[in-house]
Amino acid sequence: MVAYIVYLQQIPELLHKWSSSYDVYVPTRVEEHFYEFRPWQEKTHIAWDYDLAYSPLKVFFMPPREDLIHFDLHNYTASPVIKKTRQLLFGVHPYDIKAINQLDQLMGMDGVDVNYQNLRDNTVIFGLEPARVAETAFWAGVDAARVDFGFDLFWTRISPGAFLVRVGSAQGEEMLKMGSSITSATAAEKEAARRIHLRAAARADKQGLGFTWTQVPEFMNKFYSRKLYWREKAKTCLSCGSCNLVCPTCYCFDIQDETDDHLKQGKRYRQWDGCMLEGFSRIAGGLNFRPNPWERYRHRYMRKGKYIFDRIGELGCVGCGRCVKACTAKIANPKVVFSEIREAIKNEA
Amino acid sequence: MKPDFSPYVPRPATLVAKNTLSEYVTLFEFAQDSGKTLAHRPGQFIQVSIYGVGEAPFSVSSPPQSDHHHFELAVRRTGSVTNALHNLQTGSKVGIRGPYGSYFPMQKFVGQDLLFAAGGLGYIPIRSVLYYMLRHREEYGDIILLVGTRHPRERIFTDQLEEISRRSDVHVLETVDVPDESWQGNVGVITTLFPKIRINPENTNVAMIGPPVMYRFVIDECAKLGIPQERIYVSLERRMKCGLGKCGHCQINGINCCTDGPVFCYTKIANLPEAF
Repeated sequence: MVAYIVYLQQIPELLHKWSSSYDVYVPTRVEEHFYEFRPWQEKTHIAWDYDLAYSPLKVFFMPPREDLIHFDLHNYTASPVIKKTRQLLFGVHPYDIKAINQLDQLMGMDGVDVNYQNLRDNTVIFGLEPARVAETAFWAGVDAARVDFGFDLFWTRISPGAFLVRVGSAQGEEMLKMGSSITSATAAEKEAARRIHLRAAARADKQGLGFTWTQVPEFMNKFYSRKLYWREKAKTCLSCGSCNLVCPTCYCFDIQDETDDHLKQGKRYRQWDGCMLEGFSRIAGGLNFRPNPWERYRHRYMRKGKYIFDRIGELGCVGCGRCVKACTAKIANPKVVFSEIREAIKNEA
Repeated sequence: MKPDFSPYVPRPATLVAKNTLSEYVTLFEFAQDSGKTLAHRPGQFIQVSIYGVGEAPFSVSSPPQSDHHHFELAVRRTGSVTNALHNLQTGSKVGIRGPYGSYFPMQKFVGQDLLFAAGGLGYIPIRSVLYYMLRHREEYGDIILLVGTRHPRERIFTDQLEEISRRSDVHVLETVDVPDESWQGNVGVITTLFPKIRINPENTNVAMIGPPVMYRFVIDECAKLGIPQERIYVSLERRMKCGLGKCGHCQINGINCCTDGPVFCYTKIANLPEAF
């Protein structure tokens, strides 16, 4: 793979150039232990060693609220609203890239989601080797410690002042070459990056699942009918949907209309919805197909551990640990659920 | 530059007629403003928009018509969109998307008998299949139509049912759960009609639509008659928001009712605990 060396002091110049044609977002420290991707500005301090961004990066491709059509109530016409903002996400960890890759696949299935696709097509992703592992993360256990595609460049900090940058696309390479005197990486530098990755992966492995993730779908399938387990797990669920909102692979949405005060024009928008919310599967007349919190809780884990796997061959969970942090009742933890189920099945055998 | 395409943009249609079917249910006849036929197949649904109120999915009740651009929906007044629909005057516009989803395999049914089981509003989409067969009557074998309704006053399409039941080539049986003084017919749930019919299990397909509670019981009856599961077709109702397999609302375990359904061969969903 083609790789270059970029020194820390060269980065501001590059960011300047990139920001003239892209909205650039970088990881920043918002508060103690709290990081977010924020628009890059001259003075922005990039949190190179961040462990986890609080918000999932789906916000950039599927905003929490997004117009789909604008309509006119008088002549009953409607026109599509499709955003094509050019964005650069600089510093994305592999598990988040994996989540985006997964959304690419799911939003492209059975007919492309044009709103997602247009934002995605106009977004450049620069990956970053994680320097730290969030306490709640287990991405190494669900095959998300490394990605081979889904980035335009991938950055590894090989010394306090230098990055090895692997090229993932022609566009990425072009953008990198906008900098003056960017040099190719030597074999030794590539080796240094490889070792840093191995060290990072080894650190993350300690927080893995402790068994191979490929077993999860089968376990989940077996455990679907264990109502007692699910009831017990979801006993304190508040049905708040926080786990849905912070999940980088959750993409369910609701569609609503809004009109102006004169009832002349309006818009139809979609906004994030969550399968944990009470009315998610309610139909006309009031019948609810998942009326109880435990049914919704189970559905969410089945989706992460089985249903998404059936569609694309990987778990619908990238192990970022966001839901673990966000859950107010402290019951959302895919690692714990997968492990408990595995343990239970092992003991029965 | 190519103009943006979005599957979320509805097409305009005009309300041409409204007919009251029962206290809460009205039959709406629409015409596509494009002058084109809706091009749906029996069992498919469309998304109907009332701008400013919202969008909701409805099964098309009329059979496919190649010769004109009108189509019918029968709608129960129950939520915001359905209430807004009921308040429309003829000549008003709505937006439509679709048709979406799977449909009954009319080609597979050719030369075979069909047993319909319609519970309550389930008759609305069944009607699309039934009238398709009546239009092509010579291509199909025996047709038996079972209709179950909670109460006589909730019966819909009564004139048309009366008309069909006079035909010699369709066997219509009706029942109500709770009779009133005027009701002369069968009393009981839809399964009480099964002892009254004779079918050839070798050659009979079943199309059933009704409230979720109905399916298991009717499927049991079909099994007793010896109809194999692969010839039983059901249509399921879920809350389809996008109709495009994305929004997640209509999931039945791992499948999407909007794109994998709403019409399913029973073998496809027999193992899905969330189906009924």
